[in-house]
Amino acid sequence: MTDPVLALSFTGDIAAPAVQGAISGAVYGLLGLGLVLLYKSNKVFNFAQGEFGTCAAFGTLFAISGKGFLPEMPLAVAVLFGLLVGVAVALLTERLVVRPLFSAPKVTLVVASAGVALLLIAVQGFLQGAEPGNFPALKGGDVINAANIRLTWQGLIIVFVLAVLAVSSALFFSRTKTGTAIIAVSQEPTATSLVGISVARTSMLTWGLAGLLGGIAGILLSGSLGLIAPGSLTGLALIPAFTAAVFGGMTSLPGAFLGGVVIGVVEALASANIPTDVLPGAGRVTLFATLLLVLLVRPQGLLGKTA
Amino acid sequence: MTALDERAGAPEGTDAPDPHGERPGRDFGPVRWVPRLLVLVPLAYWILFHIPNTESYVAVATDAAIYSIVGLSLNIIIGYTGQLSLGHQGFVGVGAFTAAYALTVQGVPFAVTFVLAGVLAALFALVIGLVALRITGLYLALITLVFGLALETSLFEVPEFTNQGGGQPAVRPDWLFDDGRYYLFCLAFLAAAVYLDYRLLKSKVGRALLAIKENERVAEAFGVNVTLYKLIAFTLSGTLAGVAGALLAFRIGIVTGSGFGFFLALTFVLMTVVGGLGSRIGVIAGSSLFAVLDYILTQTPVKVAEEFIFRTDALKQFAPQFIGAFLLLLTLTQFPGGIAQQNKAILDWLHGKRFNPHDLLHPGKESGPGTVEGSSVRA
Repeated sequence: MTDPVLALSFTGDIAAPAVQGAISGAVYGLLGLGLVLLYKSNKVFNFAQGEFGTCAAFGTLFAISGKGFLPEMPLAVAVLFGLLVGVAVALLTERLVVRPLFSAPKVTLVVASAGVALLLIAVQGFLQGAEPGNFPALKGGDVINAANIRLTWQGLIIVFVLAVLAVSSALFFSRTKTGTAIIAVSQEPTATSLVGISVARTSMLTWGLAGLLGGIAGILLSGSLGLIAPGSLTGLALIPAFTAAVFGGMTSLPGAFLGGVVIGVVEALASANIPTDVLPGAGRVTLFATLLLVLLVRPQGLLGKTA
Repeated sequence: MTALDERAGAPEGTDAPDPHGERPGRDFGPVRWVPRLLVLVPLAYWILFHIPNTESYVAVATDAAIYSIVGLSLNIIIGYTGQLSLGHQGFVGVGAFTAAYALTVQGVPFAVTFVLAGVLAALFALVIGLVALRITGLYLALITLVFGLALETSLFEVPEFTNQGGGQPAVRPDWLFDDGRYYLFCLAFLAAAVYLDYRLLKSKVGRALLAIKENERVAEAFGVNVTLYKLIAFTLSGTLAGVAGALLAFRIGIVTGSGFGFFLALTFVLMTVVGGLGSRIGVIAGSSLFAVLDYILTQTPVKVAEEFIFRTDALKQFAPQFIGAFLLLLTLTQFPGGIAQQNKAILDWLHGKRFNPHDLLHPGKESGPGTVEGSSVRA
């Protein structure tokens, strides 16, 4: 069950779920950023995006505890180590799976990315077992703790990080040469390599960036949940993240941010206000309805452009 | 000209240089059936007469038969129409719940539950098919994915269907109570599904579907009613999945919503792709493999592996998933034709050709999976 992604308890009907939804939505958006990045550059849906995040979170967790084969590190170093793991996993995926399938149909690549996700979950399972591990928050405690509204520091950090990343990655694509090169490769690989841009290196770069974004999402989400289990990001946030990305327009980075927050709020409101005996799993059903509606009415999404 | 055409066109016994480094196949006449029969006859004996009498793995074999039906059903959508369905467990679940609910709560006769399961799942598939007319490609994959999830958390949790959350019982009638007999019953359904699939491909519908898969616009220009045939494909696939769901319900004996999660959908896609899209034998082999993988790794006397490899519970628990995913990635990057492709290499070798597992019937990476022996899909 995804509904309360952030384990907070509420009794209110509108305001409280809205705050909670906005924060879980920020996580969706964070994951959605990576999805949009890869869709923009590779025209592919990456089902392994959530697992880049879980791998990074496990990297952090193992670095904190040592796990017998790593030196025990302080939290800040462990987080860096975790992000490194996320990037490394993404780069390996690019090298071993994406590149051999460079000219294959996109559907093949999508299935392959789902396979990568399953493989990563299994590897995490080998190391961790099915039991979840405890994951520390970056900064504990509450910012606001009123009668029925509670905002944790971790939640605030998530929203802040997401906003910064959404803006900076949008600027990266529109203002820098590297960003433009990535777009160019996605539109016309042959012509791009003719003007001296390495398609292989650009692909490495995008997947590395996606790994980094996924890693940030994974570490932040696990921190706010306090728990991490094999495949937890895929199970909890991947589908809403996809919906968020589609909602914002699969090619727009600020759109993923906006879509994430909207989807999070809608999902939280639906599951808070529709009792389970009327409609079980109201959050999921709303998600499905939203996705369907967006795709049927405005397939290019809120901020997307029809290429 | 494809490699196949060249081989077929080459005169027997000539040593003409072949760009693919292939020896032309020699024609052994009727003798060429000998190696096949040596494999097929014991295999048929084992499947039909040995398995029903085994206590230990008849249940797993039943699962293999049921999964094979699901694989064939999914193959219609992925292999023939070229769309990706990540919500197939939804259709199977609808079939399972319909059968269990109809039999246990409504008291519908056993045989009729299969009809109901098929029809209801077909209706759901028709709705998804209607959506698929407007949304194609990757977005459709996303829609089917969320559809499956929505069913899992919503419809499959309705207390009325789930016996207040405890799971809906689905008890087989007395004449089918024996596990061995039920296994043969499922095999009969599988045979029917194979025949249906065979007839489908040979029919006008099948040819139309393959034409649509190759190029939708060209097919339409030649007067193929794309809308109609896509809907037919989805409905047929849904029917098969629904019936498979009913079989699954009676095999397990109790239906719960948690049994139809996203991982099942992924398993279905994995087994179909690993088996080899577009190839009936391949899909059945792949589906059976994934159905029995868990059993092979954890139950059977693979004690050596258990002692040396699966020493911890974590390893044991995640090994099937690891192997499944690994096989998928290996298939996609190295053998896009799946098991069907490897099977062809072995058959070719038996016929006196060089053993070449990388020989795709239809060269060219663009064609990707789905262009495999057994179907008339051509790149």
